[in-house]
Amino acid sequence: MSGAHKRGAEWRAGGTDLSERLRSGVSDTFAGELTPAPGMLDIVPWGDGLRVGAMVPIQQLADDPRVKAGYAALAGAAGGLATPQVRAMATVAGNLTQRTRCWYYRHPHTSCLKKGGEVCPARDGNHLLGVLFDQGPCVAPHPSTLGAALLAYEATIETTLGRTLTVEEVFGDGRDGSRDHQLAEGELISALLLAPPGASERATYRRATGRHFAEWPLVELVVRLGVSEGRVTLARVVAGGVANTPLRLRAAEDALQGHSLNAATIARAAQAALESARPLPMTAYKGPLLQGLLRDQLDRLASG
Amino acid sequence: MTTARDLHFTLNGEVRNATTAPGESAIDLLRERCGLTGTKLVCGAGVCGACTVLVDGVPKVSCLLPAAALEGTEVTSVEGVGPEDGLHPVQRAFMAHDALQCGFCTPGFVVEAVAWYDQWRAAYGPRRPERAEIAAALAGHLCRCGAYDGIYRAVADACAGAFDDAASERSPRHDAREKVTGAARYTVDIRYDGQWEGTILRSPHAHARVISIDVTGALALDGVTAVAMVEPGATVRYVGHAVAAVAAADARRLRAALAAIRIVWEQLPAVVGVDQATAAGAPLVYRGLRRDALNGAEGPVIPSPWKGNIRGPSQSFADKPRQARRVIADARARKDPLLVEGTFQTGAQSHTSFEPHAAVARFDADGLTLHLSTQSVGHMARKVAAVAGLPEERVRVVAEYVGGGFGSKLALGDEATAAVLLARTSGRPVRVVLSREEELSVTGYRPATRIELGLLAGDDGTLDALSVHAWADGGVAINSTIAALARLIYPAKAKDLVDYDVVSHLPPASPFRGPGGPALCFALEQGVDEAAHRLASDPIALRQRWDPEPARQRLYRWAAGLETWYSRRASGSGSGRMLRGVGVAAANWLYWYEPGMSVSLAVEKGRLVVSTGTQDMGTGSRTVLARAVAESFGITPAEVVVRIGDSSLPEGPLSGGSRTTPTIVPPTLQACAELKERLGALAPGITWAARIAAAPDIRVTATRVPDSNDGEAVSPLQGTGIMGTAFDYILRFSTGLRTGRGSPGAVIVTEVEVDTWLGHVQVTRTHAGIAVGRIRARELAHSQVAGAVIQGIGHALHEERQLDGSSGLTLTAGLEDYRIPGMAEMPLLDVHFDEEGFDHVGGGGVGMGEVSTLAVAASVANAVYNATGRRVRELPLRPDRLMTLLADVDAR
Repeated sequence: MSGAHKRGAEWRAGGTDLSERLRSGVSDTFAGELTPAPGMLDIVPWGDGLRVGAMVPIQQLADDPRVKAGYAALAGAAGGLATPQVRAMATVAGNLTQRTRCWYYRHPHTSCLKKGGEVCPARDGNHLLGVLFDQGPCVAPHPSTLGAALLAYEATIETTLGRTLTVEEVFGDGRDGSRDHQLAEGELISALLLAPPGASERATYRRATGRHFAEWPLVELVVRLGVSEGRVTLARVVAGGVANTPLRLRAAEDALQGHSLNAATIARAAQAALESARPLPMTAYKGPLLQGLLRDQLDRLASG
Repeated sequence: MTTARDLHFTLNGEVRNATTAPGESAIDLLRERCGLTGTKLVCGAGVCGACTVLVDGVPKVSCLLPAAALEGTEVTSVEGVGPEDGLHPVQRAFMAHDALQCGFCTPGFVVEAVAWYDQWRAAYGPRRPERAEIAAALAGHLCRCGAYDGIYRAVADACAGAFDDAASERSPRHDAREKVTGAARYTVDIRYDGQWEGTILRSPHAHARVISIDVTGALALDGVTAVAMVEPGATVRYVGHAVAAVAAADARRLRAALAAIRIVWEQLPAVVGVDQATAAGAPLVYRGLRRDALNGAEGPVIPSPWKGNIRGPSQSFADKPRQARRVIADARARKDPLLVEGTFQTGAQSHTSFEPHAAVARFDADGLTLHLSTQSVGHMARKVAAVAGLPEERVRVVAEYVGGGFGSKLALGDEATAAVLLARTSGRPVRVVLSREEELSVTGYRPATRIELGLLAGDDGTLDALSVHAWADGGVAINSTIAALARLIYPAKAKDLVDYDVVSHLPPASPFRGPGGPALCFALEQGVDEAAHRLASDPIALRQRWDPEPARQRLYRWAAGLETWYSRRASGSGSGRMLRGVGVAAANWLYWYEPGMSVSLAVEKGRLVVSTGTQDMGTGSRTVLARAVAESFGITPAEVVVRIGDSSLPEGPLSGGSRTTPTIVPPTLQACAELKERLGALAPGITWAARIAAAPDIRVTATRVPDSNDGEAVSPLQGTGIMGTAFDYILRFSTGLRTGRGSPGAVIVTEVEVDTWLGHVQVTRTHAGIAVGRIRARELAHSQVAGAVIQGIGHALHEERQLDGSSGLTLTAGLEDYRIPGMAEMPLLDVHFDEEGFDHVGGGGVGMGEVSTLAVAASVANAVYNATGRRVRELPLRPDRLMTLLADVDAR
């Protein structure tokens, strides 16, 4: 589809990322407007789960009763990101494949790894909003809120090349600082596939920001829990805003798995959440924010 | 798909066919091709919502929306939300509640609120929404003037049905209807036939010499003009310094022209920020007599010594400084528990006017007309005449509507110079509009500061010594006044007040609403708070003892009587995750006016017309004029025609230093009296309205004269010794500004809630006591205070320019990263006006824009101390700083 275009050519859907870059001059990569293929605008049953078309607007995902009932943290993440106008325009696939929000990348007069440069200027420069878990050469957190939620739900991603990828496969391990996702040149997302939710699970989404609304999260967190007979039977903890990719906090999950959800367990999970943290000089503050978010959500889930 | 395509859509009920260029956004189509300029471009990133339009009834940001997405849709812009020739209830509500100031963000808010109102009414009927519901619904909108308080009331009342009736239309603000309908034309909206678009080429280097600059390559292109804005040999001292400008008929040619300019640079060693500038062996920003150092203040540069990149000490306002230093040193040596010392830092705050700096220049047989987004049409006309090489009478500067200024539009900007030069070389009208990145990088800011404070209370509760040493980080600009302001409040036995400027290779700071005041208050008012804590005194009671100024004494009594104040808990006594606190801070300011400015009042075809060459950047000058005339003649303000924003009118004041109202009201009242005299006494049973309607055309002009000597008010400069007198005279003769008698004052009480887990401070309620004499337009005065409060909260909690320390690049170059407060940050607001004390001023009141904001950040800091028991040393109190501050607090 994009073979006729130079490398990095981008198709525009909702326009909420690319239009800004075209105006500011950061990008000169416009390939054309995407027109939805059949099924790309709908949320339909997929077995006992759901298939979400790539071009479904984010607000539609947030408002869908089936999503709200079965995937509360996904609905919460969708409804909690950006602004009402942006949610009405932006597509779910665009949220996953948007470029980084790093202020060096977005500045029309800088070079960086993601603009074909040799170094990350933020690493030795101003990385106040940078990562807490340092995975690779780029220190900008991944901006996809939906990515964090989809990772917690172990969703799979269907592409126009006929591939079905896990969320981890879409985002990679963060070691390639030049890219925001691992899709091939010209490969587009066609749908998100959501497996059926567990019977008694509950899930929450929250973010820490300086202001209330309309701000990229300093830290965001999805917690998905199944509790049976007082014990945690399923624990998924995924953080955003802290690494080059949405990040599963497996140590925190392990601290919850099999235990009863009491104050001691919550404290252990909060400690475990930072086990593999590697803060930059300016980002250590994200540690206590992440712990605060985890305690906040586990408290809510524990109190029913 | 990358070629132009034809679109068919409905715009405000009218079928449109248009051709869109590849990659184009909807706003460019609507504004430039469809000619509907009510929709405003501000951030270009979907953050501020100013460009919001309805697409099939759904609000979308047209700056990001692909133009191609309009195909087959029904689009509604602000021009189309109301019925034919009428207003939507939401528009009436915005007018009635004064839910706007400069008006530049208003179309976006109105469009969104209209859609939400329709949805709300369909779901709930005329029910009043909660504040939190409104905040969430309008989360995609920002307002820099800070009209949120009125917007909450407007949306709630509209939803509740209070404005369903067309007869409910009323407007305290004279030009509100134009602003809620999108009819108000700002400089960015001006479009002449054959107009070209210009842009500025800027230095990529923080410090460099221009060896050569050659624009001939650009000039050789078809449909292009270009000018150099620096001479070969010129030194540029910051990234973004303007070096050349080009204009062209279209964007493609503009890019080609920029690429064709050849500059040979010699890069020079640069210092970025205070640490680098003051390091041993740091390269010098300025050499020799430093005559080329830029003045970042409104007042004249008073000579001061230099050492390296540090200008100062400037200590003219000190009072027995050696005594102060000795007393404080002794107290330190004996470890006096009443000695309060500390270092306080504030971040650089960007003005962020929503209308960017913009100019449209057009030469014709009469000379030059320059549409300019400015705070001073009069001063700019003189400066532009020099640029254009024309006599003053052949230059007309016009600013009908100004989308915010806050101090950043006082000086002649590059956009004006570029537009004039490009229009002259091309022979065409040329528009130059700065991008948001330029606006946030090179149009000025409130400098970052570091203040070392020492304050010693005596055992008997006296103020024995005050020491304030302030360093301003204003880039290449100098002349900050921070410590000096401490002379104007709290008489002490001795004061050691020293100001320094540290220059480095960064863009220049510029005056911003109460220059120097917020930084001083942040340090001083926390010092007083801490002294009260040490003395086990109530902080208001201590201020009552230390601050004899009569108006503030009344404000202290008011504040002490607030339930939230007298029922507050001991500082740091709270526990748990959420901590609540209440803080107070006071501020003092000067009252300035500009003698010699004129106001003309005329009867034209049976209507009263008041005119003066001032401008209204959202502060309400049109309204103040209309009300003064209307009250004099017993007519409604809407019946008065107001003409401002044009340098060809009788010379009026610039909008800065809170001078506009006290400069224009007295001559307006005088003109009213003179006109009545000319019209003759009223016959019994005849109203002035009837008399005017029947009168022939006549005109009177009155000039602002110095205040009378009546009454007991004194200038805060009185008693500040020879320097105070000298300062007064220097100001008078260099700027025409007169320092009047009386002290504008403020006492701000702030309630906060601190989330110790998520690093969040929420200001829940602000009580603002303001003493500026008689209030002329109450609703607009309330709006001014609301705006001052939310800008102060921005300074306290959210706003800060972020830089790259090696290149000198401004990283907060968009509204995603430069974070101004939104709806949800606006606290509940109570405003108390003390209206006494200015009877010696015609009209009885003075300006309030500045004094209202000075103490806000300090008051927030004191409230955070009350909540947490921790002193805030650095602003803004971002989540990272709060988490550090609370690192040892057990909030479990």
